[in-house]
Amino acid sequence: MKFLPDRSKIFILVTILSISLISSSYGFANSDNIEQSVFRITNFQQRPNWKSPWKMKNTTKGEGSGFLIDDGFILTNAHVVSDTRILLVNKLSSPNPFLADVVAIAHDSDLALLKVRDHDFYKNLTPLKLGGVPDLQSRVRAYGYPVGGHELSRTEGVVSRIEFGTYVHPGIDSHLLIQTDSAINPGNSGGPVTQSGQAIGVAFQSNLNLNDVGYFIPVPLIKRFLIDIKDGTYDGVPEIGIETSPLINKHHRKYLGLPEESGGILVERIVPFSSADGVIKTGDVLTKIEDLKIDAAGMVNYGEQQVAFYIEAENRQIGDHLKLQVWRNGNFEDLLLKLEAPPFGEEMRNSYDKRPEYLIFGGLVFIALSRNYIHSPGNLLPPLAYEHWYREVERPDTRRQQVVILSHVLPASINSGYTNLRNFIVSKLNQEPINSLSHLDQMLKKIPSETEHVVFESKWNNLPIVLNLKKSLAQHNSILKNYGIEESSYILNNTKNNY
Amino acid sequence: MFKNNKLLYSAVFYIYINLLSTPLELQAEAPDINPWFKQAVLLKTYQQSYDWRIPWEKGDISTQTGLGLVVSLPESPKNLSSENVKSGNLYLMTTAELVANATLIEATRKDIRVPFQGKLMSMDFAANLALIEINNAKFWSQLKPVQFFSAKSSKNDESKSIYSLIIKSPDEWDFESGSIERMTIGHREKSDAWVPILKISGLSKSRHGYPILQDNKTIAMVLDSNRSVAKALPAGMLLEFLNRVGSDKFQGLTHRGFKWRRLPQGSIKEYLGIPENKSGIMISQILPHGTGSDVLKVGDYLTTIGMLKISHNGKINHPNWGFTLFDLLFLDQYKAGDYVNLSVIRDKKPLTLNTKVKTYGNDSNLVPMKRVGFPPRYIIQGGFLFQELTIDYLSIWGKNWRTRAPLRLRLFLEQNKTVMIPKNNNSDNNYDTNKIIPKNISRVVLVTQVIPDAINIGYQNLSNAVVLKINDHSINSLLDVSKAFLKPKNKFHLIEFLPGSERMSVVLPFEELEKSNHRIKINFRIPKLYSL
Repeated sequence: MKFLPDRSKIFILVTILSISLISSSYGFANSDNIEQSVFRITNFQQRPNWKSPWKMKNTTKGEGSGFLIDDGFILTNAHVVSDTRILLVNKLSSPNPFLADVVAIAHDSDLALLKVRDHDFYKNLTPLKLGGVPDLQSRVRAYGYPVGGHELSRTEGVVSRIEFGTYVHPGIDSHLLIQTDSAINPGNSGGPVTQSGQAIGVAFQSNLNLNDVGYFIPVPLIKRFLIDIKDGTYDGVPEIGIETSPLINKHHRKYLGLPEESGGILVERIVPFSSADGVIKTGDVLTKIEDLKIDAAGMVNYGEQQVAFYIEAENRQIGDHLKLQVWRNGNFEDLLLKLEAPPFGEEMRNSYDKRPEYLIFGGLVFIALSRNYIHSPGNLLPPLAYEHWYREVERPDTRRQQVVILSHVLPASINSGYTNLRNFIVSKLNQEPINSLSHLDQMLKKIPSETEHVVFESKWNNLPIVLNLKKSLAQHNSILKNYGIEESSYILNNTKNNY
Repeated sequence: MFKNNKLLYSAVFYIYINLLSTPLELQAEAPDINPWFKQAVLLKTYQQSYDWRIPWEKGDISTQTGLGLVVSLPESPKNLSSENVKSGNLYLMTTAELVANATLIEATRKDIRVPFQGKLMSMDFAANLALIEINNAKFWSQLKPVQFFSAKSSKNDESKSIYSLIIKSPDEWDFESGSIERMTIGHREKSDAWVPILKISGLSKSRHGYPILQDNKTIAMVLDSNRSVAKALPAGMLLEFLNRVGSDKFQGLTHRGFKWRRLPQGSIKEYLGIPENKSGIMISQILPHGTGSDVLKVGDYLTTIGMLKISHNGKINHPNWGFTLFDLLFLDQYKAGDYVNLSVIRDKKPLTLNTKVKTYGNDSNLVPMKRVGFPPRYIIQGGFLFQELTIDYLSIWGKNWRTRAPLRLRLFLEQNKTVMIPKNNNSDNNYDTNKIIPKNISRVVLVTQVIPDAINIGYQNLSNAVVLKINDHSINSLLDVSKAFLKPKNKFHLIEFLPGSERMSVVLPFEELEKSNHRIKINFRIPKLYSL
């Protein structure tokens, strides 16, 4: 897991992909059944407006692919169906769309499961079986509905790499992914990648800066998702919660007193409240995971090749245990670690299927800092970046539940003089620290009526924002009315705002 | 008859309006060009800055041209050469930008077409002024110093009218007419200094060092021009520079020692206990240098400087220039070392603070501004290139470095707001985000890159990592780095970085370091591994 923008090399552009396949059946099982089970998915989606969080943006139409798996469910990518208002599924060469619903969605691993409402849809369809992890250089086929035509596209290529990489849809998560040399085109996402008549992955992203580089999600992660949702909820991919550095430098290994040929990587940070917190220590050298030897670059054997040791965590469920061996204080020690959900907040990932939280007081618009907000145009500012990324890493003890930002001001006579304010990081209200937007909401509601001023302070600005309480309350409704805002706040797990 | 009269009236009215609205009608007569052949010389400079990415290498050579104004100093500089004494204590004054990092300065008189080699004698980069000496009596023969006069207050169109000497070619010198737009306080981004600027419109050909004349008197010198607007330093600043530059007292540009904000509205005034009718500005940050930095506090409400009241938007009623930013007082009314009263409201009570007028100080910033004429400082140990974070270093990300340089490095520019360098990873005391940087944190030291060698295999992707400790010693300067490497731990040097770096620690074996340093020096043709 990587937290920081400078370290994470997010270079892959999400496209809806398809790997063009010439109609040769050489080396493959009967493809007719497969083709019948691959669908065009049309998503009419609506995203929130992060600048004016009480508003929604215009509805847009997106297209992707999906395929039938056991039990009458359609597997696709989360990004194909996120923020949906209406989902339509078309069968091969059929003009008739069927209404579908999202049954389960995993934004961290970019997977989703759909169910078509009309049972007739499933007549004469054969679900695809999930296969295994393909060999390097073995041939694969991908099916889908990319741009450039209306009919099913079949593409063909070989497996060129199997490694960990960033999943662009969540933005922060790294998982196993398989690279193929097939051309990538928008519209392919969610389609199956097959080998010997079995689905061995879901096509999901590509690198538009390179030729012939496409990626698909491998079966182990898909199966993990399907097991995870069996209880009706999706818990997420577990994380160990450590940051490590390779120990390729022989002097560093000698400095740590590591035995020759022991391998291992240096644990340099423990993420607070993570699976590793209290089990692994900073300075430990992680040498084995589930009896697999970890080399000096942090890799373990995985079939015919090597992948990052995290593979042993990501194919498990939350609550499962992991056996580890570390080099600590000159000895090898065995540890047992219980896997937990990632400890970082949802605000670190790209957000989907959720309305942004906000709160308006005296015309000041407060929001909770999130990845979506900081990546909005003009918001990638050093103070916001520090609060969003660096504080977590450099001063985890001072991290607040949410970072509250005064994003902008709805001009009114009560706030004149502040109307040009943008991105004011709010630390305190009337000298009390603010932990979250919900906390701020509660604090505002509890201000004694005789209080003269409401004072918002920031650690990044020496001049506080001061509003007259009575006048702010008096103008509250008229400001909302003036700007056509129905609700003065939207805060999760909170009562309706009433000042 | 009536029609004819109407036509006549219309014609008279038209001429009258044209007379009023055409500045040329009020333009003073162009000055005589001949005296300027003895008061200004052509300057051509060959400049070579440093490559801060490869700090032992110099950058590309560039050339610039401008004018040097012949000036005399009221006080003799210590290092005055004998030729200059004979020449009546004459020097050339021009902009610092023209001569910064110059490898050769050539001065050419209009009547003697052979260039003479000039030598940079003194430079105030913050104010963008420089003084050049030429140790050749022949060069100075018959040259006369320029006399500077204060510009007339721009109350009417006539007083706004000016001329600028321009050089069309070495043989063709002429004047270009323009108009004073206003006196303002300009922010010089390269030095983060505030200087008084005469903004002059209508000048398209003005360059470094060109004189500005009003009523045949020199009132300013052009610093630079952009399209048709030239920025010129007024005579008061030029004279102040000349008065001090030759003496031991030369301290550079007088400057304010704080940043300020206007109070946005009434509620905050009430909250801070400031009377409603009291105008002033809020002190938002104390600079590590400049006037008031020793007595003012963040949150003070500054109401008067000396006897002059400050308006809510930071302006004073300047005796010569009318309403202008208060900075002008520090720059043209008070001299360094003068005492000045600052009236403030602090903790709801009025207070008068007496302080000395101080100068601009580049080196006191956590991230120092551009330094001209000094080679980059660095240390190379085991291939690790240690450099201090400076504006010069950040500038390697190009003109738009403020948006393109790594975010984490840019955060150090917020120096008075948030202490970002943890001195001790487990201590919370050093993390108070509203503290002013402790005095012992003077610089941010980075490993900017790793020069590949056998000793650092496995570390070679490291770049721009903030160094916290070496061998358990806190690192706040390159000097600290040098000292820390004298004390290895158990035959190793342990270097620790700010969390979030590519990696948080690296190790160098003490016994192999010298050999490695030698290899790197030879292999990469690095003249020296230390430049302090």
